[in-house]
Amino acid sequence: MKKILHFILNGEPVEMEIEPHLTLLQVLRDRLEMTGTKEGCGMGECGACTVLLDGKSVNSCIYPALEVEGRNVTTIEGLMNSRGNLHPIQKAFIEHGAIQCGFCTPGMILSAKALLDENPHPTEEEIRNGIAGNICRCTGYLQIIQAIKAVSQKT
Amino acid sequence: MKYVGIGIPNVDVLEKVLGQARYGADLPSESPLHLKVVRSTKPHAKIVEILTEEALCISGVERIFTAKDIPGRNLVGTITKDQPVLASDRVRYVGEAVALIAAENPEASEEAAKKVIVIYEDLPHVTSPEEALSIDAPLIHEKGNLLLEFHLRKGDVQTGFKEAEVIIEETYTTTWVDHAYLEPDAGLGYIDEEGRVTVICPTQNVHYDQKEIASLLSLPLEKVRIIQSTTGGGFGGRLDLTVQGFLALATFHLKRPVKLIYTPEEVFQVISKRHPLKIRYKSGAKKDGTLTAVEVDILGDTGAYASYGPTVCIRSAIHATGPYKVPNVKVRSRMVYTNNPWSGAMRGFGVPQIAFAHESQMDILARVLEIDPIEIRLRNALQVGYETATGQPLMASVGIGETLKKIRIFTEEARGGRKDESREPKIKRGIGVSSMWYGIGYTGIANPSTAQIEIHPEGEIRLFTGVADIGQGSNTIALQIASETLGLPPDEIQLIHADTGFTTDAGPTAASRQTYISGNAILRASKDLERKMIKEASRLFGIGENDLFLEEGKIKSRRAPRISIPIKEIAKRCGTVIRGEGTFDPETTPLDPETGKGVPYATYAFATHVAEVEVDMETGKVKVNRVIACHDVGKAINPKNVIGQIIGGVAMGTGFALMEEFIPGKTTSFVNYLIPTSKDVPEVIPIIVEDKEPTGPFGAKGVGECALIATAPAIINGIADAIGKRIYRLPASLERVLEAIQKRKMKSP
Repeated sequence: MKKILHFILNGEPVEMEIEPHLTLLQVLRDRLEMTGTKEGCGMGECGACTVLLDGKSVNSCIYPALEVEGRNVTTIEGLMNSRGNLHPIQKAFIEHGAIQCGFCTPGMILSAKALLDENPHPTEEEIRNGIAGNICRCTGYLQIIQAIKAVSQKT
Repeated sequence: MKYVGIGIPNVDVLEKVLGQARYGADLPSESPLHLKVVRSTKPHAKIVEILTEEALCISGVERIFTAKDIPGRNLVGTITKDQPVLASDRVRYVGEAVALIAAENPEASEEAAKKVIVIYEDLPHVTSPEEALSIDAPLIHEKGNLLLEFHLRKGDVQTGFKEAEVIIEETYTTTWVDHAYLEPDAGLGYIDEEGRVTVICPTQNVHYDQKEIASLLSLPLEKVRIIQSTTGGGFGGRLDLTVQGFLALATFHLKRPVKLIYTPEEVFQVISKRHPLKIRYKSGAKKDGTLTAVEVDILGDTGAYASYGPTVCIRSAIHATGPYKVPNVKVRSRMVYTNNPWSGAMRGFGVPQIAFAHESQMDILARVLEIDPIEIRLRNALQVGYETATGQPLMASVGIGETLKKIRIFTEEARGGRKDESREPKIKRGIGVSSMWYGIGYTGIANPSTAQIEIHPEGEIRLFTGVADIGQGSNTIALQIASETLGLPPDEIQLIHADTGFTTDAGPTAASRQTYISGNAILRASKDLERKMIKEASRLFGIGENDLFLEEGKIKSRRAPRISIPIKEIAKRCGTVIRGEGTFDPETTPLDPETGKGVPYATYAFATHVAEVEVDMETGKVKVNRVIACHDVGKAINPKNVIGQIIGGVAMGTGFALMEEFIPGKTTSFVNYLIPTSKDVPEVIPIIVEDKEPTGPFGAKGVGECALIATAPAIINGIADAIGKRIYRLPASLERVLEAIQKRKMKSP
């Protein structure tokens, strides 16, 4: 039996009919065709599917879509501000060479945002812990850590 | 220089940071059919029958393909064509493709895949190279289980060992390692507007894919088009076909869009792995540390199919001496088929494995002879003029000595830091040194690249390259090289890349070859355009060609400084497209089949790493605190990207050293295949040495694979320094380290 789901996606209200077994990732990618959120491992191990749910990072690949009823979901597509400016974390990732293949990037940026929103001036260890659920095979993480540090120092 | 040597951000970062880059599973398509591969559950069996009736009854199933539906040659492989796209009469590993479902939705194709019944007749299977080589071993391929045996000879090792004052002989073992790129293989197939069977997917070599698909479908090359999608990592795993054959076969028959997305578990099961090597290594040296001889025996497991097995077999042998002067060398390297998962290309083609052996040996020699680990390497380091084990005299750009000298200060600093280790008695600290060399490009065979650059009357400049950028930044480097030559910023040049519909063969993104080889092709194309623009300007303005030169995108006159005409203006006046073309093939010679003599590579990259580690003596846990990584890259076209490769390579090397182990039948996903996270990676101090390669574009060589090679042996040597016991089998997991510590306790050191 299909169910009606309402939630706020990147600031815009969404109402849709979905099969109750769908994950948040399936709703985003397959139903709404928003492919910025990536599916890496499909079991919550790699973090490529990270989105923000009421500001906290979740693995959308294992998150039941119906659980977001009435809540705020932020994906990589919603990070630019209304004037079309990159978010400071996006800018810092570019400046610090924190992107290679880029597949982990959307999830990594959202984990970084969740971290900095909660703790604007994290230590290096707190940064390492904050992104420990996001695997990157290309960069070796250090440029990502530097980028997050740079953002935290600007605020 | 204005554009070369500058760490500009990669040209594709904006779309990546916005989530707009289209990876294999992101490609849009109007109501495609969804494919699913039916895979073997047997390691070695005859296929008696494939029953598809029940599966075909499932609503939404359009068609089920088997080997019988392949119109052309059902064998692929970059060197040895021995691997079917769909198994016809026999399967040789668990996970081999047997049938392909096409259905209206993913659920139907998955359901149908479960309902296909394959009747097998089991064959005895082989799980180790030793077993595969025994006389009564079951044959995995008709020609026998020995895929290749390669020999390398220099001087006389018997004499060399007689001259030696110390001889060290040990065995080193490595295991399967997964590329673990994050993006599961996926793609789209369709017939394009020109009627071509078109596949768009992540890949490291569109032109290789095109040849294989044309042969598979028995189509002329021009009827097949391969486009690289944004590629979520490669590391060698995307040099062989992944989804291409299935997408192309279904598109060919069904003439409508098809989509295939591998499950993450499928990626782990069916994509190639790093070759496990068993290396018996004997070194002889004088008391002053000078090497007199090495004798090496390498036995590799290529699994069910050849893939890059021959490359790994030969390359590991050629690199067996390490970056050292060894007067007497004898190497035997064998690569063997088994029914294990197939191994292929993975970042370094066997060199990371052999470096683990030669650098462990060097470390043992240093300890036995009580020579500083940097000093013993310096005494043996290759130099310009020396002949390598293949008899190749090194002509230039041998920066190994420089990397050792530059890094020496850090070992001294690290030793100072060890003194406070007594504060926590269960933690032991150690420092490990390791060096490496790596031949750029394919081994002793032609591996050319081509490129074109054109300027249109409307002023548009287009650079064409077949190079697949897999995240390392080759697109950016291509533009930097063209920009430097033409004197125009990269954003004024449009790049068309890795689409066989528009670009010509650049060879694979492999063997750290794209900057050197394709970089040269792009440089030559740009120089060719420069010449042609000067010629046109000379014609248009009646000035001698010798008086004209190109600077900042303008043709200028030496004698009349007033004259300064933008090349775009010249193109406009000409009214036609002006096109520069370039090809480059490094100068190599084939290797002698008996002795291995020849010139396998035109140039080599060098590096030295120092790892500072701490070992928890109670748990066996190793923590790598810092790695200093000094690389001779010839010239860093984009230093930011070079550093990116180095830091990423150190992370992958740390995984190779300490945690990565694919266990056939047990490893299924990232849940049980652990790679370094942000909490595991060490601090890295990258140091770039630029010992320019005269034949390289602006002096450049390569770094992609080189970045990883020296890390694992540096860590292993660091562990030995810390605990006084050595790890001979990778990875140095908690259990292995603890076992080594306990052995130490039993036999006092």
